[in-house]
Amino acid sequence: MEVLTSLAHGFAVALEPGNLLWCFVGVFLGTIVGVLPGLGPPATIAMLLPLTFHMNPAGAIIMLAGIYYGAKYGGSTTSILLNVPGESASVVTCIDGYQMARNGRAGAALGIAAIASFVAGTVGVVGLMLIAPPVARFALSFSSPEYFALMSLGLALVVLLAGRSLVKALLAALVGLWISSIGTDLFSATSRFVFGTMDLLSGIDFIVVAIGLFAIGEVLANMETREEAQMIAVPKGLRNLLPTWQDLKDCRFAFLNGSIVGFFVGVLPGGGSTIASFLSYGLEKAVSRRREQFGKGVVEGVAAPEGANNSETGGALVPLLTLGIPGSGTTAILLAALVLWGFKPGPLFIPENPDLFWGLVASMYIGNVMLLVLNLPLVPLFAQVLRLPPYVMYPIILGVSVVGVYSESGSLFGLALLAGFGLLGYLMRKIDYPSAPLILGLALGGGMERALRQSLMMSEGNLSILVSRPISAAILSLAGLVLLIPLFNKVNAWRLQALEQE
Amino acid sequence: MRMQTRILALAAIAALAPAALAQGFVPTRPVEVVVHTGPGGGNDVLARAIAVIAEKEHLLPVRMQVVNRPGGNGNLSMAYVAEKRGDPNTIGLFTANMLTVYLVSPEAKVTVRDLTPIARLVLEPAVIAVKADAPYKTLADFIEAAKKNPGQLKQSGGSITSRDNVVRQLLQKATGTRWAYISFPGGGERIAALLGGHVDLMVIEPEEAGEHIRAGSMRVLAQVSEHRLPGYPNVPTLKEAGFDVPAVPQIRGVVAPPGIPKENIAYWEDFFRRLTLTVSWKKYLQDNQFEDGYQNSAELAKFFDSFTGQLRDILKEAGVKTVR
Amino acid sequence: MEEKKLNRGDFWSGLALAALGIYIILEARQWDYLGPEGPGPGFFPMWYGVAMVALSAYLAITSALGKSGGDGAAIDWARVRRALATWLSFAVSVALFKVVGFVASFALLTFFIVAVMYRRPVRVAALTAVLSAAGFYLVFTLALGVALPTGPLGF
Repeated sequence: MEVLTSLAHGFAVALEPGNLLWCFVGVFLGTIVGVLPGLGPPATIAMLLPLTFHMNPAGAIIMLAGIYYGAKYGGSTTSILLNVPGESASVVTCIDGYQMARNGRAGAALGIAAIASFVAGTVGVVGLMLIAPPVARFALSFSSPEYFALMSLGLALVVLLAGRSLVKALLAALVGLWISSIGTDLFSATSRFVFGTMDLLSGIDFIVVAIGLFAIGEVLANMETREEAQMIAVPKGLRNLLPTWQDLKDCRFAFLNGSIVGFFVGVLPGGGSTIASFLSYGLEKAVSRRREQFGKGVVEGVAAPEGANNSETGGALVPLLTLGIPGSGTTAILLAALVLWGFKPGPLFIPENPDLFWGLVASMYIGNVMLLVLNLPLVPLFAQVLRLPPYVMYPIILGVSVVGVYSESGSLFGLALLAGFGLLGYLMRKIDYPSAPLILGLALGGGMERALRQSLMMSEGNLSILVSRPISAAILSLAGLVLLIPLFNKVNAWRLQALEQE
Repeated sequence: MRMQTRILALAAIAALAPAALAQGFVPTRPVEVVVHTGPGGGNDVLARAIAVIAEKEHLLPVRMQVVNRPGGNGNLSMAYVAEKRGDPNTIGLFTANMLTVYLVSPEAKVTVRDLTPIARLVLEPAVIAVKADAPYKTLADFIEAAKKNPGQLKQSGGSITSRDNVVRQLLQKATGTRWAYISFPGGGERIAALLGGHVDLMVIEPEEAGEHIRAGSMRVLAQVSEHRLPGYPNVPTLKEAGFDVPAVPQIRGVVAPPGIPKENIAYWEDFFRRLTLTVSWKKYLQDNQFEDGYQNSAELAKFFDSFTGQLRDILKEAGVKTVR
Repeated sequence: MEEKKLNRGDFWSGLALAALGIYIILEARQWDYLGPEGPGPGFFPMWYGVAMVALSAYLAITSALGKSGGDGAAIDWARVRRALATWLSFAVSVALFKVVGFVASFALLTFFIVAVMYRRPVRVAALTAVLSAAGFYLVFTLALGVALPTGPLGF
């Protein structure tokens, strides 16, 4: 019950007119930042930091946090409409989201993304509010063997992303693993696969590959013909521009899935919204009754990852506010901001600054509501973008991709890579290799290798560390089960065939 | 502007430029401060702090703009500065890690050694910490335990070429012990590994450790510093604890593009010297528990040489291949 | 009797990936497979390199034997040419960023796509090019302050 009184106190802080205004400013800015590739929360927050010196700290943190989770709402917009991931966390949304748009259901996709973001974002805040300290302690017991198991589970989900040819999906994943190794090895300072260039020493940015494969590859594939039939159908009437009740029903599990997976992955210092969205998508597909339709445009395929990357925000704030440990780029800047304002995030932060913490928590509830109200009506507006004729849209997609990549890296080399991966994306489409496994391998490969080597260093070369610890053993078993799914499917198919022949 | 007007304007500026130089350089355009991290990274925060202090203390007639050029293990930022050969309005921030990369990566074609040294600014000390319920009360306790169990104790830290490992190498050599070193890419993960009991020791920034100590989850065994830091009056330095190893700091400073005129170098040297004398700067150092490591351009050039030499030896002992 | 169709895409990609896999293995051999404190930098690449060679060889062989189930349809080279032409124009425009800046280069790219790829009248192409490029400049450079590659004219 103490929680409720603290929360009430928090609402008193959050509902002060000044703080309410900052909340709105933050979520509004965050939405814009998320929609536009080429502007990410870390850069925006860094730019606004000097302005926050003159604000009261509660208002400032409310605004900056608003930018952080607001961006997660906006990130799905270009993913769904243009197949351009607005930020790394939105890559998975492209898979089913864009297909839904092509099927004339852009509005439903955008709407379900907003709703899932709201539901999961709110659950994330509830988690932050209720179980932050014990969850943080639990997260500390997670170490390299558990991370390795988690990454293995993520990679095992490749078999679910396979489509028709498992061999090609595996090959794509292996290429993704290879690309993730390009750069300087952390443990030995050896340069791997850098082809003698300085530019590759830090590896290849995930977003460059994602935008190249998805957005540019798609444009090139569409340029094959000149037909007007390319234009994506935009349904008329408000009812078709929003998700239906059936959609919402279909997404019941996805909301739950996204909320929980996102929150827990966010709590882990080595986790991140990209991993969270992949795991959530994979889990959704694994338990879905219509799993063959994933990748062709099913609502759950949008709801799960979008939910995950929003509740991940709540999760990522847990280690930041309970332990002073930043888990990701954005939380690192928030940490720097708190330090700049004279606070010292650490285990004593919440007890010593209840106003700030509970004010922030309350403002996140308010912010999520604001974002839902902001985003849902905008859905029909955004969907109109698809009315643009292809010859206007496709150059714009190319331009937006360039801006997205250049603003992160500032290097023309990055753009050359973008062009290269664009060509690869097109070729993969022509010879029917799925791109999602490649992206998955790239996202998880580095972390998986690091976790394995760290684990073996911890155990002095003893592999059993991976199975002797209960959590990692459990997750690895789950990964093993996932790998057996194709086998179950085949056995099931034979069984049905045998039955039919009787 | 119409093209002819534009050309006339350019010609006028070109004619006047030598006159401006002769008087001693003063920047007229915003100054670009190039950093090798993204927003929020170490040098990014420092650059922004410098910009804020410069404005507050009216040290510069123009504003400073932070330009992020991450990648290439820091070398892309150096390459960017090098491209601006002769440009008086660009400076870059370096860290000592870049000297390491210079030694270790053959692919690094342009490095900090190719640029004009301006000033060394900041020395960041560190502390050596263990989990609060660890059985080690002093660094000597830990070394004892390491002697009894060679290779079994573990330290979390950054890359194998980072300062964390350099300190470890020096200590191992001085005491004849060894313990394992496990790299984690992010500070958060390193702390989590320590607090979760998965590693035994870490080298951590004094600021970062502060709150954990106050909350009682960490204990500091020694300071990697020449003098005791104000925040840690009761913790012995490495030398005081009986270990004859240099206190290796993380070092940050300023470089400029190659080929800039002498007046330009003098201007920047003067600017940074005045910066380090301001009250705001002293407060900044104090708040972050940094040490003033000011050196001017000539001293910095010498430092580059001596530090590189020391690093080369340390890296060789750590088993890392050096190529320069 | 069904003709055994060579699925060309699978076959050639299988070969290419096998070559990549072999390259990976050769590079990985130069690094430590096992270091003093655990797996070295060569460990992981060796594993996925070997897996890559194995799987891609399997793919190439099964497609050569006609078993991979692809439809073996003839490639419509006209369509591929259009796509590749677009890619080439994109690559050229990226190369031009440093020379003439983003805005000008993007305008040229848009003009090319509208006029040549979509065969719209020159007026329409020019208008689209100018409006799109101006739009990017307004939104990104002016309003948001996002740096875009600039050319000699400053934009």
